[in-house]
Amino acid sequence: MERGYREVPHTADVALEVWGHDLAELFANAAAGMFDLAVRAEPAAPIVAWREVSLTAPDVETLLVDWLNELLLLSEEHGEAYVSFQVSLPTPGELVARVGATRAFARRRAVKAATFHNLTIHETPDGYRAVIVFDV
Amino acid sequence: MVQKKDFRRLAPHLWEVPAGTRDDMRVPARIYADEELFSLTFEDRSAEQLINTATLPGIVGWALAMPDIHQGYGFPIGGVAATLLPSGAISPGGVGYDINCGVRLLTTQLNEEEIRPHLNALMDALFREIPSGVGKGHSAALAARQLDRVLEEGASWAVAQGYGTKEDLVHTEESGSMKGGNAEAVSARAKSRAKDQLGTLGSGNHFIEVGVVDRVFDARIAERFGLAEGRIVLWIHSGSRALGHQVCTDSVRELQAAAARYGYRLPDRELACAPLDSPEGQRYFQAMVCAANFAWANRQMMTHLARIAFERVLAGKVRDHHLRMLYDVAHNIAKIEEHVVDGRRVKVCVHRKGATRAFGPGLSAVPEAYRDLGQPVLIPGSMGSASYVLVGTEKAMQESFGSTCHGAGRTLSRHAAKRAVTGQELRQQLESQGIIVRAGSLGGLAEEAPEAYKDVDRVVEIVHQAGLALKVARTRPIGVMKG
Repeated sequence: MERGYREVPHTADVALEVWGHDLAELFANAAAGMFDLAVRAEPAAPIVAWREVSLTAPDVETLLVDWLNELLLLSEEHGEAYVSFQVSLPTPGELVARVGATRAFARRRAVKAATFHNLTIHETPDGYRAVIVFDV
Repeated sequence: MVQKKDFRRLAPHLWEVPAGTRDDMRVPARIYADEELFSLTFEDRSAEQLINTATLPGIVGWALAMPDIHQGYGFPIGGVAATLLPSGAISPGGVGYDINCGVRLLTTQLNEEEIRPHLNALMDALFREIPSGVGKGHSAALAARQLDRVLEEGASWAVAQGYGTKEDLVHTEESGSMKGGNAEAVSARAKSRAKDQLGTLGSGNHFIEVGVVDRVFDARIAERFGLAEGRIVLWIHSGSRALGHQVCTDSVRELQAAAARYGYRLPDRELACAPLDSPEGQRYFQAMVCAANFAWANRQMMTHLARIAFERVLAGKVRDHHLRMLYDVAHNIAKIEEHVVDGRRVKVCVHRKGATRAFGPGLSAVPEAYRDLGQPVLIPGSMGSASYVLVGTEKAMQESFGSTCHGAGRTLSRHAAKRAVTGQELRQQLESQGIIVRAGSLGGLAEEAPEAYKDVDRVVEIVHQAGLALKVARTRPIGVMKG
């Protein structure tokens, strides 16, 4: 499957360009990209648990930042990384998701937070696109 | 967009763009730099971020950038902004994610020849005693009530538990225990992230370094600071770990809504802010103080662990293995201070983000032992490069709200740094210079390659020439430990 993200240069920290056909796909790809920055999961690592996430926010950018920060916290709290993301956005301010966890991974770097730095979710002819800067 | 040509050169190392160059600027913006570093400011968004800082509600004087300026979130890193009390804005973006990221310097009576035969063992012992690296914590978790005390009492909590001495506290900015913290302002989430991180180094640019004084610029002040050529020192560079990051994340989100309520128009969402005297502004201030205290307690605990390592390896083998605190400074913090603005003495909230307090002589905030000289200013270099001790000046009080630079400042992204040099190459490069390296991750090591930073000698020379702090001594590393 084609990845929905790539790392882009940023002076002090790390940034990901993320895209998706719809907002839900963009959110799932952003999460996958973030965990790719933070950990190296074993290929075909078994999913050992599913976590439920539900969030509301005043706008879609805040929802994206909240979503990524929520996953970072869950990951830290449970000592797991997430490799599978089932995301739906009933409205641009509401998210409901199930995320699949693995424990078969090595940490690559501490991704401490997703930020609002220059964050805008753009509509493109193919869907949506955003650049997210992470505090590391 | 503000351009290079909009700036006037006021002095050899000072450039200013007048207020009004962009409609929303409330004060002029100033950059301390030489010609080349000034030009570099326009290669990323640093200059634009500095102009954004000049729009902060209640800002007085100037929005300032130090020569180590680089792009941050909201405010640039290497930035200083003061807002007028009671209603000037406080902004988490003006402090940064790693609240009270800072550095302390411990001095010894040892010289390089004495320590060389034991250096490998010493670096092993430091690496063993002090947990470092991504997600590394202590096995003993802090009870919730204890954590609240750490947040409100900072390093003095640690000393009360036996981790250090009264002298350590006296020689710490704010005595390591900043007033105004309220543990209730810190979210449960931030607290849960802190529970096993006290006394741990963390990853990123944080390090512990055994260094040797290789240059003395002012012998009189160096002697008073306990520094002499050839003498061994220990640097500890660390911050408030995940707790501080969570306080910042929580606050940026909360203050975005508050900024809208107070009618602020923000050029960047990471500039989220609220009046200092509003409930939201107060909550951030109280939580920030708690995170700052956590960082001071953390550096104090690591100091204790470093003393254990020195004791284990060196006791009985050298004349004197003791580590004495020279000073400890914060370089990401907001403080309530008095400064003279437009001829009037006023209370302001000074945001220092990647900037160091550099108070001159005579001020009660400077420890008694140094009060006639000015405070020690500690400027860590990048890994493998030199670090500096300077002294604060009266000129800094007049020009920069008693502030100066904090380090070298990045020029290469972590991503680019990693492509330019591998961790293994870097380790070999450092070891060929006689620097012993202990690192949790080789990838993390490569991200901090010295090539990724501006030249610290040059950055320090600029603040010295500009008079914002004066050079006292330089150290070079002989052993580096990184997360």
